[in-house]
Formats: sequence, C-alpha cells, structure tokens
Amino acid sequence: MPSSVVHAALGLTVAVGLLGAHYDRRALGVVLAVIVAPELDSLLGFVMSGAHRTVFHTLVLSIIGAAVLYWDTRRDDSWLRNRWGSYGVQVAWVALFVHTFTHIALDWTHLDGINLVWPLLDQFVALDGELYISSEGVVQTFVDVSLDPTTGQQVVDAGQSGTTQSVHVSTPVQPTTEPEGPVDRRFPIAVHGWQLYVVCLGLFTLVARRLQTPHRRDEQ
Amino acid sequence: MSPTLVSLAVGVLLGVALLGAAFDRRSLAIVALAAALPDVDALLSPFLSGSTNAVLHTIFIPAVAATVLYYDTTRRETSWLRGRFGWYGVRVAWIAIAAYAVAGIGVDLFSTESVALLYPVSGRYYAVVGKFVLSTQEGIVQTYVGGDGWLGLASPGTTETHHVASWLNPGDGERRLRLVESGWQAVVVLTAAAAVPAKALLDGGGR
Repeated sequence: MPSSVVHAALGLTVAVGLLGAHYDRRALGVVLAVIVAPELDSLLGFVMSGAHRTVFHTLVLSIIGAAVLYWDTRRDDSWLRNRWGSYGVQVAWVALFVHTFTHIALDWTHLDGINLVWPLLDQFVALDGELYISSEGVVQTFVDVSLDPTTGQQVVDAGQSGTTQSVHVSTPVQPTTEPEGPVDRRFPIAVHGWQLYVVCLGLFTLVARRLQTPHRRDEQ
Repeated sequence: MSPTLVSLAVGVLLGVALLGAAFDRRSLAIVALAAALPDVDALLSPFLSGSTNAVLHTIFIPAVAATVLYYDTTRRETSWLRGRFGWYGVRVAWIAIAAYAVAGIGVDLFSTESVALLYPVSGRYYAVVGKFVLSTQEGIVQTYVGGDGWLGLASPGTTETHHVASWLNPGDGERRLRLVESGWQAVVVLTAAAAVPAKALLDGGGR
C-alpha cells in the first residue's frame, strides 16, 4: 500500500474542501478514521489467504455504502439526519467519497492492485498505464485490448494480477506468507517523489486552512 | 515536464479545499490557470535553450508575488486589490499564488522531471526523489535528502547540460503531448474531476 500517511494526506486535502461549512476537528477525525480503517483487512490475512486488499479494499463496499446512505437520507424519517442532522449527512458523504477516491483508487494503482469487485469476482487488478497524444493520435495504455494471434479471440488486459490464492500484498503485519530467516517489517512513510509530494500537499492544505482569515460567509 | 493536466488537477483540489466562501466557477478557473501557468515556459524552449522547467518554475516568482500581495493587503493604508475586488479578490489571489507554487512548480520538483528552482541565480535543476521507510531490520531508511548538492537534493544537471523534454521540444525522444503518465496521476485527475461536482452537490444540499 502507499502508506496510510499518503492516504491520509490526499484524503484530508479533499475533505477540507468538501466538508465546507461543517469543517471541524471532529469531522476531520471521522474522515481520518475512515481512511485508515480498510487496512484492518491486513489482520484477516492470518485466517484468510489474500485477505489484505480484498475484504475492505473492494468497490462493492463503496457501492453498498452509497446505496444505503442515499436510501436513508432520502427517507422522511432518516436515521442519520435524526441522530446527527445535516452535519452527519455531509460527513458521511465526504467520508465515502474520500474512502473511494483516495484510498481504494490509489491502492488500485499500486503493486498488485486491489481485488476490485470481490466477492463478486476474485481477481486482483492493478491500474497502470499512460495517456498521451502523439502522431498516432490519442493513446492510452491503461486497458489493452488486443487479438490473441493463435485463437483470434479478443483479449482485454486491464492489469489482472491474480486471485486471493496467488496474490499477497505485503503489509507490516504480515510481510510475507513464507516465514524464513529474520522477518523485515517495513512501514513505508513515502516512496518516490510523488508520495512525499502528496504528504506535503496534505500538510500545506491543513495549515493554509488554519491560517486563513475567516470570512463570515465561511461560517454559514 | 510533468503533464500540465496533473498540475491543473492539483490546482483544482487546492481551490476546492481553500476557496471557501469565494468558491465559484470564476475563482476556481483562476486558481486552476495559475497552477498551469508555470508550464508556459516550455513554449520558450525553441528560442531560449534550457527554459523548460526553469524560467517560470523559479521559486522567485511566487515569492515576489506573495511579498507584493502581503504588502498591498496588510502594510498599506488602503489596499488596491481590496478596493478593486474586495475580500473575494484577496482570497483568490492568495490561493492562486499557492496553486502556482504548490501545484505548478511542486509536481515537477517532486519527480525526476526536476526544476531549476533558483533560476536565474542558479541554473541547476533539482529533484526531490527517494524514499522514507521504517524497517525493523534496517531502521530508518531515508534517501530524499543526502547528496552533496544544495540541501542534499538530487540534481540531473544544469540548464546548460540537462534538457527537460516537452511536447514542443522533445529533444531526442518522440514528440508526445503527455496527459497522464501513471496510475497515481490518473487517480489525482479523476479525484479532482469528481470533487468539483461533489462540492457543488454537498454545498447545495447541506443548506
């Protein structure tokens, strides 16, 4: 995984703006907890093969979450609105947005990717490629569609990497599934320039938001 | 140079995060344009060699802009900007400068593309690349800083010796207008594209 520090930094950058009038320390805390929580599936790795990046790193969870949230907040007698008011509704939607875009989507692009639609389909997918315009026109290499030369069938390569049986994405909790020799548990803070950039971007956004002169319309 | 689309996307994210009560279509467009502005120096590349990621990617431009803005809005009796555009103008100006520095220059600085940060005082390109990992076997591994150069940052050369490829002046490579180079950049672009309608929906529904 890009470290939880990177997830948190990008997530908070987005959350600061989307929380809008409901921006406060408690809302940030809730969003932060939601960003970090999916890593708990690392612990399930001891009892289920390939659980990390599968159980809580699936888009199915986001879709169910969005459906439940939409259904509840559209009712006259919404549980969430009765309990927490419009504050609760906004924080819930922001947490879902941040979870989907800055945790699940970001992990999709990293190492073996995520088990995208588990449990509907057990298939890890990694998003990698580029998009550019050259003399050949617009070229994208995220999803390669080609014809198999022997069978003549269409082959779609979207970065499929394996199933829960074959893929183990290393975590500090369970660095490898084959314990041999001294175990090296690695907690990455940032790897590559861009991850450090995202961490700095998150810190900058939080500090800038704090230092801003408040305006009466911000408080509405 | 890094794709301008990525700088635009980070600029939009900063605008969504910080514009607050000044958030509207016009202010967001100004902030996004400020984030893309440094990449205009690639257009000078055919006339002035070594201008890509140097002429407009220097830290002095946002530093001078911030100083002028601070002087105008805080030190003077009557601020020109506040008199002309009010509170809205001051907030948008600050965030546009931040977007220029953080989204415009920063994206290139934290990549192998590298930026001549102190141009024209120095023509040396700098790149913040490396890793920072805590390991139970090796302890703290930190390679972002530690070279011999200024601040120990990595440097691929100077404006004399190092060519930064761009669409207009690709150097030895193929001419490509790069929009997205990797998975994480795609995610940042998608997130920014989704954050704008999400902000509009949430602000509209919350009140």
